[in-house]
Amino acid sequence: MIPNTDDALRMLSQRLMVQLLPDLKTEYCLSDGMLLGLLMNAIADEVASGIELRMQDIADMARLLKQGSAFHDAGKLVDQGPASLKLKDVNILHDQFTTELIKLHEIVERSETEEATRVEREIWRYLGTTAERHTITALG
Amino acid sequence: MTLSLEEVAENTTDFLTKKWATEVKITSIEQIFGGASRETYRLSVRTDDRVQNLILRRDPPTSLIDTERELEFSAYEAIYPTDIPVPEPLFLENDPAYLQQPFSIMVAIDGAITDASLLNENQKKVIGRQKWQLLGKLAAKDPVELGFHRFLEVPEVGQCAARELAYWEKIILDDEIHPQPIAQAALRWLKANKPAPAQKVSIVHGDYRTGNFLFVPDEGIKGVLDWEMCHLGDPLEDLAWSLDPLWNWDDPEHAGLLLPHREAVDIWEETSGLKVDMEAFRWWRIFASIKGIAIWISSSENFQNGAGKDSILAMAGWAMTDRQNRILLDYLSPHSANRFAGAMA
Repeated sequence: MIPNTDDALRMLSQRLMVQLLPDLKTEYCLSDGMLLGLLMNAIADEVASGIELRMQDIADMARLLKQGSAFHDAGKLVDQGPASLKLKDVNILHDQFTTELIKLHEIVERSETEEATRVEREIWRYLGTTAERHTITALG
Repeated sequence: MTLSLEEVAENTTDFLTKKWATEVKITSIEQIFGGASRETYRLSVRTDDRVQNLILRRDPPTSLIDTERELEFSAYEAIYPTDIPVPEPLFLENDPAYLQQPFSIMVAIDGAITDASLLNENQKKVIGRQKWQLLGKLAAKDPVELGFHRFLEVPEVGQCAARELAYWEKIILDDEIHPQPIAQAALRWLKANKPAPAQKVSIVHGDYRTGNFLFVPDEGIKGVLDWEMCHLGDPLEDLAWSLDPLWNWDDPEHAGLLLPHREAVDIWEETSGLKVDMEAFRWWRIFASIKGIAIWISSSENFQNGAGKDSILAMAGWAMTDRQNRILLDYLSPHSANRFAGAMA
């Protein structure tokens, strides 16, 4: 059987919050359990789409780094993919791209050329897009 | 190692018996959820002549904020005799012999709550007015007169901003698990746009927000809590933190879920006798988000490295960082819809 892990996590969270928590004796345990349940739902969302969202970020950052290559050369990284599609490897690549993007951002915001301003605006647009993309709806 | 509730009660009984030199019985004990910087317990204690409710705050192995318990306790002691209501501090114990970690004990403020969402519109106005009046009063006080210089460094008025920025930037750099492009952009902005020197050096509570004071809905604020980030600095720092959109995420028009932002600022100005320079204030608002990000990143790091297992550390590190980043985008991005920045206009 191939489990649908995100759905499984959501069901476990529901069981925790609806069936188990009401029987807990202290307010502390009830509050802690409720928060754990919400976190399980947020993790379920990550299990379902976390890798895909990170890959979208990486594609966006690769495009930005290519666009800004006259200001900052990120080398071969811009064409690189993750070592595997395991979350850990995708996170490593995401961090590498983000580090290069921070460098590019710092350089273009110091430059006063039209192209630098354009790249800077595009970086801010990406930062807004990625914040929206990773909205944590399960935590309210 | 974790102590059970029974062990906390038993060992606290021993401690209080020794301190008060009388027989002490703890008749009830419960842990309070949400004390992210300390484990917090409410105790009912009976001695020969009376029953008293106490709050025990025990250092965890880790916390959201790397705080100095002695500093916090000293702040309570210095503020307690003033017109800023705080719980009466009783004991600070650094010896781990009793509860494995240092702890402090204060008198509980009975019948008071912290949840502002339970207030009706009129109560919100009254509590809100009092909230920013108290902050204005705190800003107006002379820290040296109250003895704060004995346990806190007194910065020059021109150093306050740079000192705080350096402190919180270091925490971000030390604790970040992933690179933070929005925080980095904000840090660059803060360094390039230093604010005017502080009008005066004030007592800065450091975490003055709805949720960190106790009130009785029809009676008012009974105690300002959580002084662990207290320091001396620019009074605009506390005002900006109190107005951070994080504390009224779903209600951007009402600072701390209580009052319109402009009204809160007016009350603060009136009570403190100080003026809000809007340019300097913008700096402190952006700084407030950086400080928030540093705190949330630090909690993530604690949770991630296994030192802290409290679910609130995971929640804060994840959801709060996300929200604080959105606030910074709103303040700094050329594509901003000024959802939050506009609230101060």
